[in-house]
Amino acid sequence: MIEIKDVTKKFGRKKVLKGVSFTAEKGQITCLIGINGVGKTTIMKAIMALTPINSGEILIDGEKIHKGSYEKITFIPDTITMLPQMKIRDAFVFMADFYDSWNQKRATELLQFFKLNETDRISELSKGNTAKVNLLLGLALDVDYVLMDEPFSGIDIFSREQIANVFTSHLIENRGVIITTHEINDIEHLVDKVVLLDEGVVLKEFEVEEVRENEGKSVIDVMREVYQG
Amino acid sequence: MSVKFNNRDPVYVQVIRHFKEQIARGTFEPGQEIPSRRELANQLKINPNTAQRAYKEMEEQGLIFTEGNLPSRITKDEQTLKMVREELILEAVDTFVQSVRSINVPVQEALHLVKDTYERENN
Repeated sequence: MIEIKDVTKKFGRKKVLKGVSFTAEKGQITCLIGINGVGKTTIMKAIMALTPINSGEILIDGEKIHKGSYEKITFIPDTITMLPQMKIRDAFVFMADFYDSWNQKRATELLQFFKLNETDRISELSKGNTAKVNLLLGLALDVDYVLMDEPFSGIDIFSREQIANVFTSHLIENRGVIITTHEINDIEHLVDKVVLLDEGVVLKEFEVEEVRENEGKSVIDVMREVYQG
Repeated sequence: MSVKFNNRDPVYVQVIRHFKEQIARGTFEPGQEIPSRRELANQLKINPNTAQRAYKEMEEQGLIFTEGNLPSRITKDEQTLKMVREELILEAVDTFVQSVRSINVPVQEALHLVKDTYERENN
């Protein structure tokens, strides 16, 4: 489980996170929703200790993040971090050098799943295919937790469907996933839990099937209530 | 297998309904092997936890059964299968009656129309 406890973060004088708390379970898909600028990416970076927090605590399976944690949790940012002149297979070598948890078998499987070609150069890929390679590099790590920042933004509908299919496959099964998005439509039926954010605070945290069962509401219905009510 | 899910009913309930329809229609025969939880999640594009929940619920309702480590199967129990069919019919009739009643259609006229439409569609 990833526990975020009362986390605050300032950039200069600007308070970006004002006491954010929520949890994300292993084996579940947790979706952080909020418009641009509410702190979604900052939360992910805070979990990964890529940015220092001002107060609060973040625990991964009960412990604070340390060097070894990076073999257990990975962050897939919204833009690819590999050098553009690399071919896809060069990126594989790069990942294998950096991470013990790199799983080449899974990488090859994902390559087929996304219908990508390992001899293609990253700089020459379409936007959709770049996003897929980016995702592939994170998912091919044998880690317990995967954080994905806006995997659907700016991508055509077929690529979006293909990416959504990953979530229903064994490639995700049993892992804990945190995903940020502002387009819930693509994944409404795929997520276990939703955390609604606004201006650095959590407005609501809920299990989607529970809300459908007890209140007969869709995720969008709840969002409308929370953001416009 | 592809199903259109709505966003307001629990997905696992909709999955169970889908199974009941297949059973009533005969697409799923008694004792037939059904997809694994993972396969189902993949086919229906739903969360594997949801598929798991639907199977657990169906197992409790006696719609499916699992022996040891073998794949789950549709029940062979006649009584249960009959009940599934009846449940679906009654539900459809209820919905129909409610909507024709709301516009004050007398039962005779409604029945007549049902018969006509049914026969026309059969031809």
